[in-house]
Order: sequence, then C-alpha cells, then structure tokens
Amino acid sequence: MALVPVLALIAGQFLPAYPLRILDMILLYAILGLGLNIIVGYAGLLDLGYVAFYAIGAYSWALLASGQFDIHLPFALVLLIGASLAGLAGILLGIPVLRLRGDYLAIVTLGFGEIIRVLMNNLDGVTNGPQGIARIDEAHLFGWTLSTPEDFLYLLVAMLVVVFLFVWRIQESALGTALSAVREDQDAARGCGIDTTRVKLVAFALSAFIGGGCGVVFAAMQRFVSPESFTFWESLIIVLVIVIGGLGNPFGALLGATLLILIPELLRAYADYRLLLYGMALVIIILARPRGIISRAFGPSWLMRRLGGGKC
Amino acid sequence: MLTFDHVTKQFGALKAIDDVSFKVKPGIITAVIGPNGAGKSTLVNMAAGSYGVSSGRILVDGVELQRLPKHRIAHAGLARTYQNIRLFDGMSVVKNLEVALVPPKVGRLVADTFGLTGRAAAEERRARCHAVLERLGLAAHAEQQAGSLAYGQQKLVELARAVVAGPRVLLLDEPAAGLNHGETELLKQHILALRAPDLAMVLIEHDMKLIMSISDTIVVMNRGQVLAQGNAAEIRANTEVQEAYLGQPGAIRDIEAAARGRRNRVRIREGEGLTWHQP
Repeated sequence: MALVPVLALIAGQFLPAYPLRILDMILLYAILGLGLNIIVGYAGLLDLGYVAFYAIGAYSWALLASGQFDIHLPFALVLLIGASLAGLAGILLGIPVLRLRGDYLAIVTLGFGEIIRVLMNNLDGVTNGPQGIARIDEAHLFGWTLSTPEDFLYLLVAMLVVVFLFVWRIQESALGTALSAVREDQDAARGCGIDTTRVKLVAFALSAFIGGGCGVVFAAMQRFVSPESFTFWESLIIVLVIVIGGLGNPFGALLGATLLILIPELLRAYADYRLLLYGMALVIIILARPRGIISRAFGPSWLMRRLGGGKC
Repeated sequence: MLTFDHVTKQFGALKAIDDVSFKVKPGIITAVIGPNGAGKSTLVNMAAGSYGVSSGRILVDGVELQRLPKHRIAHAGLARTYQNIRLFDGMSVVKNLEVALVPPKVGRLVADTFGLTGRAAAEERRARCHAVLERLGLAAHAEQQAGSLAYGQQKLVELARAVVAGPRVLLLDEPAAGLNHGETELLKQHILALRAPDLAMVLIEHDMKLIMSISDTIVVMNRGQVLAQGNAAEIRANTEVQEAYLGQPGAIRDIEAAARGRRNRVRIREGEGLTWHQP
C-alpha cells in the first residue's frame, strides 16, 4: 500500500496523458469501491444504487462552480458540501429502507439510483436536463490548479490514501465489529446490544459521503456532467469492483478497480468482441475465485501469521 | 434479579403464557422445566425482546423490559444463549465476544473510529474477552473462525459471548442440547463456576440429570402456567408435577428418556451424526 503513492508519483512524471487518464479512472473507482465496501462488504447490505451518491457529488460541483447559476465556490468547500449532501441523502434514504433486508433492499436502492438520475434528467431548470452542464470551472485547491490528468492523479492518490486509512480504521474499530455482526446475524447482534438500525445508518452515511466526494472529483475532472454518466451500469461496475476484488477487504477494491478498468482498455484492439471478452474474463475470475480474488481476512496480521508459521 | 410479574402471552386464540409470576434471584441457578409446549422458550423469548408481551411486566433489577427494543434489553443487563447456536460464524472467536462489548452509543462509536480516543478502551475490551475465553478454556481458539469450531466448543463460545459484558441476568436456552456426555459435564462445571452473587441465572433444559444436579431452585411449567417451584428433592417428590408430565407417578424417568431422544434428534439436525448414540 505504501508503494502506491510512490509508483503514482513516478507514473505521473513519465506516462503520457492517455494512460494517466486510465490510471485516474482506476483510482476513482478504487475509492468508490472502498466507500461501497462499508455497506456491502462490512455490513452485508447490497446497495445497487450507489451511483446516486456519486451523482449528487458530481452535480454539486457542476452547479456550485459553473456558469449555470454563476456560482463559483472553491473546490475544497464544494468537496465538503458534495460529500456531506451525499451523506445526508444516505441518511434520508437509509431511514425508510434499512428495515428491508437482502433482495428487497437491493431493489429499493436500485430504484433510488434511478430516481436520482431521472431527477437530474428532468429538472431542466436546474440541471439542464439531458444536455447536462458544460463549461464547469477548473478546480483550484490551495492555489494549485487541477487541470491535467497528472494533477488529478496526485489528488486521487492523496484521496485514496486518506479513504483507505479511514476504511481501515472502521474495519479495525468497534464500529467495524458491530457492522460485521450485523452482516453475520442481525438478530443475534441486537441481542448482544447492537443498535442495528443506527449502526446501519452510520454505515450508509459514511459510504455515501465517500461516494459524494468521488462525484465532485469526477465532475471537476470531466468538466462536464450529464445524467448519462450515472446509469445503473455505473452502480453495477462499482459493485463488481468489490465483488471481483474481494468483499470486505480494502485491498480487494484496489485490485478490483484495476482489473475492471484495465481489462476493457486492453481489449480495445478487439473492438467488436471487446464486451464479450470482458464478460468472459469476469466470469472466469468469478468461477476461479467465487468469493473475490482477495479474501476477507487478508491484511498485515494475516500475512504475519502466514509468514511467521502460525506465530503472531 | 429477574422478575416476571403477571405475564401473559397470547398467540391468537392460544394463551402460551397465562398469568405467570415468579422471581429469579441472583447468586443461584434457577431451572425452568416442563413438557414441550409448556411455554419455557416463549418466556425466554419475551424476556429477551424477541416476542412482545401481551400483558404484565418483566423486570431486571427494577427496569421494565417489555417495551424496550432488543438492544436496550441487552444494555439493561440481560444476556442469553440460543437453543440453536447463533454465533457470528464468519468472525473470529474473540471478535464474537467483542460484539457484546461494543459501546452502546453510536456517537461514541463514530468518535472512537476517527479520533485517537478509544484506543485504550478497545485494548481493555479485548483483554476482557481474552480473560473470559481463558476461563472457559477457549484461549487457544481465540483467533479461529467461530463457524469452524466443533459443536461443543461453539456452545461454549456462545456462553462466553453471553457473559463477557457482565450481565445481571443470564438466560441459558437448552445449553446442553446436542452435547455428548463429556461435553455436558464440562458445560456443567463452567455454569457452576459462573455462579456469582450479582448474577441471576435461568436455565432451560431437557437434560433432567443436569438440571437436578446444578439447579438451586426449579420452576415447573405446564400449559403456560407455573405448576410448582422448589428444590430438586421437592420437585421430584411432587405428585402434581409427575401427573402433569404423563398423568402418572414416576413420569420423571419418561421425561428423561424423552429428553435423551430429543437430544439425539438435535445432533442429527446439526450434522453431527458421527457421534450418534442410542439412549
């Protein structure tokens, strides 16, 4: 993990724009994966509408830093606003839907994702509808202009490190223990004194907060947003990132994002067969590692046990 | 002290519990026995908040439980084990115990996660879990996945998880179900060792031998009502109790046989058919 920033700095210096852009996307999806992992991987609640929070973040930057309403707020502030709005949306969504479990929760969250997209599509007066919002401001962060893929690479690496540590902290803390208990047996968890409703709400809010932050960066990177970027397909990709990489493991999100973004790029040469081959690759991975490539238990202490021959 | 105060539970037209009142005193082991359908499990499930109470009150040290949500009942000091083991299978044994020690306030939980506070408290919780595991002879399994342990050990982990938070009331719902003779003996030693002056223990069991040997007082239930209460000798001699079971004196032996049969059934259901033994 410590190698990632170093490698990124080297890559930023030497790689041309196109691979850098792909690297940016990998990092962005890795962060999204880390965020979604809190809900899906730790708490075991399948959220198929994660893109809604991403969209809320993206539109925050698009509306608060563009000619749309002639508002031009600084990037750091909007990053906070967008993430907080998404977190708030997470709580508001969570209050009614967290009574549901399993498939029902998945269906309702899927619906929520679509509602947000349709809302963006139809609120012509605010969001410009399907045409989207163009000519979004260039992002400035403490006097540093973010415009090239290289700039965003550094920003995303910093974000990845912060979010990774944040998620790691959750996993190792009492909150993580409570979330795991909810995943394993919700009723027994309540019997042990876990306020499952509130704990799930916290998880939902934290997860949405990270998704919103990613959205702000995405909008600043593209400098254009439209509802098309926030379809169900995006939610699915983020779920796949963690399912392929390994549920409930932060390293899994990193690996999953790398594979899911890189494979289609590598397959560009095969134009017509690209999606077919992509699908096949995913099926093969899932057949070989049905629980994701990286196991839930993998981490420093796991490595130490393996290498130390059982001694810890 | 756990108090049932004129508790009634109605399932549609059926009165599963009919105006039951008794007290479970701290420092001793109180067994609740009775034929199938007598209402023993219903009583436990009401106290723990799994079932609502139709009328009456259930109190732990003066705190009314019947309207509290399940997690608040746990905070009030009531812990339980389940008839069918309900561990967090995918988590390590020590993490299973830590769940019972998670701080109750969600705000505190979030603060602990992101602040530097709470590190010492987390260490202390972990130490407490290890101490309980040590006491129950599970120290060697602390880092193992709970679901991967043998059935008898899982039962002990469940017991450990129930006691780690230092409850005032401990409900044991058929702790010996599915255990072989040696495991039952071990469990008995552990339950006796858990007896403490400020802990009220309720034992629901079909294993009459176990009940007669460790209970300080026995509550006999039949058709949702309390039929008798007394120590082992009194209950054995009570003709009313004997009649309630099968309508004839000497029925206790039959109950014991029935209980053994039931134990074997449980074993098969849990996929532990290898240790099947004839009653």
